Formats: sequence, structure tokens, C-alpha cells
Amino acid sequence: MHIFASVLLIISMPSLGFPYEMGSRVLSYTLKNRLKILMVERHLSPTVSFYIRHRVGAVDEVDGRTGTAHLLEHMLFKGTRTIGAKNYHEEEKILKLIARTGKELDLEKMKGENASKSRVQTLSERMEILEKQHKKLFVENEIDRLYVENGGDNVNASTGQDLTTYNVSLPSNKIELWARIEADRMTEPVFREFYSERNVVMEERKMRIESEPNGQLYEQFLATAFIAHPYRRPILGWPSDMRFLSLEYTEVFFKRYHAPNNTVIAVVGDIDPAKTLAIIKKYFGAIPSRHIELSPITEEPPQKGERRTDIVSDANPQMIIGYHKPALPHFDDYVFDVIECILSKGRTSRFHRVLVTEKALAESVHAVNGVPGAKYDNLFAIFAKPRHPYTNATIEQAIYQEIEKLKIEPVTKRELQKAKNQINADFIRSLNSNIELANVLSYFEAITGSYQYITDHVKVIDQVTSEDIMRVVKKYLTPDNRTVVKLVSKN
Amino acid sequence: MFLLPICILCGTITYAAEHAQVPLPKPEQLKYHPIHFALPRAERVLLDNGIILYVFEDSELPLLNISAVIRTGSNYDPVGKEGLAEISGVVMRTGGTEALSGNAVDEALDFFAGSLYISMNRDYGSISLSILKRDLDEGLNIFSQIITKPAFEENKLKLATDLKIEELRRIADDPKKLAFREFTRVLFGNNPAGRFPSPSSFNNIKRDDLIEFHRRFFFPENIMISVTGDISKEEAIAKIKQYLGSWNVSKNNYVIPPVPAKQKGHIYFLSKDIPQSIVICANFAPGKKETDAYPFEVLNFILGSGGFKSRIFQEIRNSRGLAYSTGSFYTKRSEYGVFGAYAIAESDSTAKVLSLLRSIVEDARMKSIDKKELEWATKSIINNFIFSFQSADQIAHQQLLIEYDKLPLDYLATYRAKIGRVQPEDLKRVAMKYLSPDETVTFILGNEEVYNQVITSVGNISRIEDRR
Repeated sequence: MHIFASVLLIISMPSLGFPYEMGSRVLSYTLKNRLKILMVERHLSPTVSFYIRHRVGAVDEVDGRTGTAHLLEHMLFKGTRTIGAKNYHEEEKILKLIARTGKELDLEKMKGENASKSRVQTLSERMEILEKQHKKLFVENEIDRLYVENGGDNVNASTGQDLTTYNVSLPSNKIELWARIEADRMTEPVFREFYSERNVVMEERKMRIESEPNGQLYEQFLATAFIAHPYRRPILGWPSDMRFLSLEYTEVFFKRYHAPNNTVIAVVGDIDPAKTLAIIKKYFGAIPSRHIELSPITEEPPQKGERRTDIVSDANPQMIIGYHKPALPHFDDYVFDVIECILSKGRTSRFHRVLVTEKALAESVHAVNGVPGAKYDNLFAIFAKPRHPYTNATIEQAIYQEIEKLKIEPVTKRELQKAKNQINADFIRSLNSNIELANVLSYFEAITGSYQYITDHVKVIDQVTSEDIMRVVKKYLTPDNRTVVKLVSKN
Repeated sequence: MFLLPICILCGTITYAAEHAQVPLPKPEQLKYHPIHFALPRAERVLLDNGIILYVFEDSELPLLNISAVIRTGSNYDPVGKEGLAEISGVVMRTGGTEALSGNAVDEALDFFAGSLYISMNRDYGSISLSILKRDLDEGLNIFSQIITKPAFEENKLKLATDLKIEELRRIADDPKKLAFREFTRVLFGNNPAGRFPSPSSFNNIKRDDLIEFHRRFFFPENIMISVTGDISKEEAIAKIKQYLGSWNVSKNNYVIPPVPAKQKGHIYFLSKDIPQSIVICANFAPGKKETDAYPFEVLNFILGSGGFKSRIFQEIRNSRGLAYSTGSFYTKRSEYGVFGAYAIAESDSTAKVLSLLRSIVEDARMKSIDKKELEWATKSIINNFIFSFQSADQIAHQQLLIEYDKLPLDYLATYRAKIGRVQPEDLKRVAMKYLSPDETVTFILGNEEVYNQVITSVGNISRIEDRR
């Protein structure tokens, strides 16, 4: 589990020197339809942050339809039968025609060189006419307008491998607006402007990946480290899948995974919990729970030898090294949290002190625990950029030297305490914000089944010893368990 | 920080789904009780040596944030030594103090998990410290030494220089960073705001230059400090007096960099082999001090920074799917601002996107914006106002920067009312005044096919080279 995503709500931290109680401020409720709600009151600012997490992500897609979860996230901003609709009864008819024409057009285009140009032209013209007609029957972007006009801050959503998230912050008198919108788009969204939004996500991919050497490297790295598990696939999707994402399948995907029993809500800020709960019950209480058929997730077989790939690029050299490791709540995941700190948090961390400052080989070296997701077994990754004129090869060896040191010499007491102090302080800092608290509470509730995972986190971290660190490094950070992907120049 | 003796409702409670499906109310019909929002205010104190201090107590968590803002920045860099402010900031952090070596400072901060960041912007520098309450003295000790007696160790200057040069080398790998730098250059021309460091300017900077930089800008009357978190006003004042109260170096005069002159409108093109184009159409706009800033804020919101309903977003992304990232920005300094309409667009549609950006801006000049759209914008801005008061640190820092920018004391108190008074004719007037196409500087980063596309449709454009 990556430190960035973690928050600590601790009962007490005796070995860290001061008592701090927060756990009792979290109010936890489950509705009869098994919707999970977490609430925390904070009254410094008359604002509230809301996080909704659905337990569905890119891992749940089927091959050939990658990018569906992310496109669905975009679709859930297009309105509902009662938000943005001018005349849903009429609109429904046109939407069916658009769906049918879009499907025929896709099927024709999928024939590639054998596609009939005249049929593509006819269908495209028909689509244009239908979309023009459709435009008269709805108001665009009403969900965003409602939020923004009412003072909404950070109106956003994101798709991960494991979860899909919808979040917003509002003035504290607008809780009912949030409930009205969210309960509706969780049950009766209307997938308007599907085909133009499909183009938008293609542009998103170009921006994040095809124009970005960092993005290309990361995508290749995951596809190499994982050969079977869905974590190998990019969340945005593979380009050829994205070109022909299906409206029909996106609707099926939505229905399959959106249900109150598959959802966690966190509400943090200037709230009266009893009133807030009443509002939530009013809008979400009647939504029926639904049996969620779990997707078959292919387990990654153990890696039995190093994997190496290069990407040829004009960009300056950089690389990613990754090692397979178990997911939380395995104890070794906690040990990796400590290792991540020791290796790269702060100027006195091993990588920074030795590789950036003393040997001056690297522009930067960062270790990250828990890539690309937290629910399934994942990777401990090291991102490195050599400093000119040093090469990827030089920095790679220097990184391994630092790793080998951890196998031979135990870390000092001070170094271990330093890492624990840092993890503790970061947690406390992240409690200083409604949005961060809502983020983290909802995340761990959705991933692990209980936000109390984080109540215990620092207690477990406190138990990690230097022997644990040595054992974990010896066990997982080995050549056979390693994937190395590099950006190399054409010459 | 508090201890709750009773665990309140931390168990799991199950409720029945007690409502049959009822028709949902229209969102517009929902009623909200009014929020009574009294502007939280940090307290201001002037110390004997001239330091201005802002304090705001918040004892929810055992945390403290201490920030210093210094009137300096990269706009003050001498010609030929661009990057001086930036690298001085880095080496103040890493290069030790008279009492502690750079390594000792690093070790201390890392061990008690304090974080100390120094950043030098164009027209202000900031040093911020975040620490746990129990480490207050140790943190303030380091903080104050860095401000008053930095050692600028030679080896840390060398390291910083080398790393900055590496950073420069890598800018061209990132289209957005590259576009931002080159666009800024063409917009500001010869003004300091358009000058950027190069490997040779970094290599021209010696340790004496850093010492001189520090002497020139670091004196009590030139620094404002905010202290927020788990500390009372009295203790905050006492602590700052203890660590910085007897700092009495002499005042300096320095020249404030000139305000940029408007450029003649033109299109600049930089070639890069990428599958998208970055298009920015920019104009100078009102500064924070000017009354036109209020209608311009509303105009910017309507044009492209008001989320999905803003015009640029609707036309370019929503209706046509030509870009993912598109909209407008309005960055305000005290004396002037910059407005930009932008898109990161599909390469094949660059000319079309450019034409759309221009026509959307032109419509705002030529046609009146209707009341409904204006009301949406002003309502949104006014309702969002409370979000700049979410934490103690944000509250104090905002107030500090208002004084730093020499804005009136009632700036925050009157902000919403001034936005609320903006009328459609104000929008048209500021659009006419500031967004003339004759003064629009357009920058495009794209591949060679894009160049051909644009030159065919628009004509007069100038190529620029990536000057590293």
C-alpha cells in the first residue's frame, strides 16, 4: 500500500511519544441495502467533502474492451433522466437510434481496409443528423453546472485499477444537492454524447501517454511486469480497444457493478451527522442492492526470471525497476512501507543521499510501494533518472548496490525510527483537510472492507524491526523477481 | 488535539430501506438554509525589527505551519545570471547554516519529520516549515538560521547547479513544460518575466552571487511570516521574537522589476514531433489592484475556467471532442495579469481549434453576454468563495499575500459584493479593452504537419527555436 494513499486514525501511539485520538470521531453506518457510510465532523470551515467509491475498476474489464471503466466515468457526467433532460421520453427514442447507428458504423469501420467507404459515409452522415436532433432534447453538462453554480470545489472523478471514484466539495448547506445528484446518477444515468466523448478520451490518452515519455515508460513497465493479471493493462485502455468501445457494453458494465452494496461513501466537514444520515437515507435508502457477480481475475503466476524491455525514444534516459510483492494486509506490505521511506523519503534517504548527493549519478530516484493498485498482489517500484553523462546502466547497478547493502547490514535504530517518525507525521498532516480525510477513509473502507485498517496501521508499522526489513529485501528484491524497463535513445 | 472518553457511535448500525421509490425533486427546487459566514481573520503583529507576523490558532491537530514570504524572485535576476533566485533558494535549504552543516540540517529535519521547502517564484520567495508541535523549537531554530545565516556550502552549490542543468535538459521531453516556457518567452519579450535560466547562466552564478542575493533581499522589513496551527497567539509571537526578534541587518533598496509592455499580436510556432498540438492565445489582463479585475474574473469564468459549462470547454471538448484539456486561465499579479485561451488538441484539428478559440473570444467582444450566463458565473464564484478559508494555514497565508500585494484591507470582505455588481456591459467593455486580436500573442507547439496546416489557414506565423 503506497504511503501517499494512506492515512492514520490512531487510537494511541505510545512509542511515538504523544497520545492522539481520532478513531472515535469516525461514524460508521450501513444501510439495509448495504451502502456503507462514513462521517467525520470538522467545523473549522463551512464546507463538506464527499467521496463516493465504487468497487469496480479497470481490473474488471474484459480483454478487447479496455478503457470501458474510464469511459464510463466520463459518461456519468452526462446527466440522468431528470438532470439535463428536456423530454426524456422523446430523447430515449433518438438515443436508441444513435446507439444502433453507432454500432453499425463501428462494425463497418472494424473491417479496416475492407470497410465499405460509401457505407461508412452514409452512416456517418446519419449519425451527424441524429446527434444534431438529439442536441435539442437535452441540456449539456447539467451535473457540473449544478455543482459549480452552488459553489462546488474540486468537482472530479477518477478511475483506478481497483476502484472508481466521484468526489466533490460543497458549502455545508448543500448536502441535499449532492445526495440528489449522486443517488440519481448511480441508478439512472443517461449516456449522452457517447461517441464524441470516446474521441475525448483518445485525446486524453495522447496527452498522458503518447506525448509523454514518462507515460509510455510506465505503461510498458506494467505490461512487462505483469503477464497475466489485469494490472498489466492501462486504465485509459489500449488504443485499438478505445477506438471501438461499445455503448452497449458500457451500459452493461455500469449495471453489473453499480449497486449500493458495492459502494462506500465518506462525508467529512461541517455536518450534523444525524441530519446528514437522514438525507442519505432519503435519497439512497430506496436503491435496491444487487447481486454483484465477481469478475474472474487471472492470478499472476510467480515470476521466475528477470524481465527486461527497452523503449527507443528521443527523450532523456530514465528507467523503472519493479519487484512483485503481496498486497495489504500481508505484514510484508507494512515492511515495504518502511523500506520505501528508508530508501527514498527525504534528503537523507539511501537513494537520495548516495545516488543523488554523494555519487552524483542521478537526477532523482524514488521508491514507491504498491503499484499500480492495492487490492491484488502488486509491485514495489523504483523510478530513476540518471544525470548526464551517466547512463541507465550505471544507475541501475548503483541501485542494486544499495539494495544489496540492505541484505547484508541491518538498518540502524535511528534510521528505522526516522522512517516511523516520517510515516506518523505524514498521517497527521493528511488529517488536516476534509478532502484528504474523506479520500483516505473511503479508500481503505472500499479496498480492505474496513476503515479500521488505518486505525491499526501505525501500530503495525511500529512493530517492524530491522530484521523484518532484511528478511523482506532478501525475499522479494531479487533478480529473478525483477522487471526492468528503460527509455533508451535511438543512437 | 482532544481525547474523547466515550466512543460515540463507532459501531456499525444497520437501517432498513424505509422509503418506497418517490419521485425525485428537481435540483433547482431544493431549498438551502443560509450559511452565516464570518470571515475568519488571522491576527497581525508588527515586530520591533520590522517583521510582519500573522497568527491563526487551530488546535485540532498537533501540527504547526510556519511560512516566510520574502519580496524577491526570479524577475530580479541580473541579465546573464538567470536562475540566481532559484538556485539561491535551493542552496539556502541544502547548503547549511553558520551553526549547522547542510547534512546536519537534512538529518535533523528528516529525523523529526519536519518538512522545510524554499521556492522562488517570479515575484516572491517563500520558505515554509511544517512540523509537529513537539518539535517546534528544533524546527524554528533551523528555520531562523536558514533565513538569517545560510552558509551556502560550495559543494552544495555545485550539486544544485548540476541538477538544475539536468532539469533544463529534460524540459523538452515534456510538451507541457516546454510549451509553458516558450510561450512565456514570446509573451513577455525582453521583460524579466520572459527570461529563463540556461546552462551558461547557471554556470555564471558563483557563491558570492548567492551571498549577495541574500544580503540584498533578506532583512526584517522585507519578510512577512505566518504561524498557524496548535499554538496560541501569545506563544507564536514569543517564539518568533525569540528566534528572529534580534535579527537586525540593514535595510536595502532594490529596484522593482518593470511591468511588461504589451506585445504586438502575432503567432509563434515551435516544432515538436508529438501527436497533439498545444495552442495558447494570450493577452495581458488587469492586475489584482485594478477595478477591471472583477469583471475580468467573471469573463474568464464564462470563457473557459468555469468548468464544463464554460464556452471553450463546451465548444472544443464537449460538442466536437477535439481536445481533452482545454479552457482558459487568468493569472493575476498585483500590477498586471495574463489571460490565456488554450487547448491541447488533436493535431489534425489544430487550425480548427485555433479558429474556435479566436471566435469564442471575439464573440465576447462583439456580442453581449446574456444575464443568465452572467448570473451562473457570478453565483458560482460567490458560492465558491468560502473555499479559500479551509485551513488555518490557508487563511493566514491568504491574508498575508493581500498585504504583500498592497491590496486594500477590505479586499476579502468586499470581494463577493464586487463580483455580484458585474453587469453584461462590464464584460463587453473589458473584453474590448483587453482581448484585442491585434494584441493577442498566440503560441503553438506541434509537429510539422500542423505547421503546414496552420500556415495554410492563417498565413503569417513565425517559427521559434527551442533555446535551451
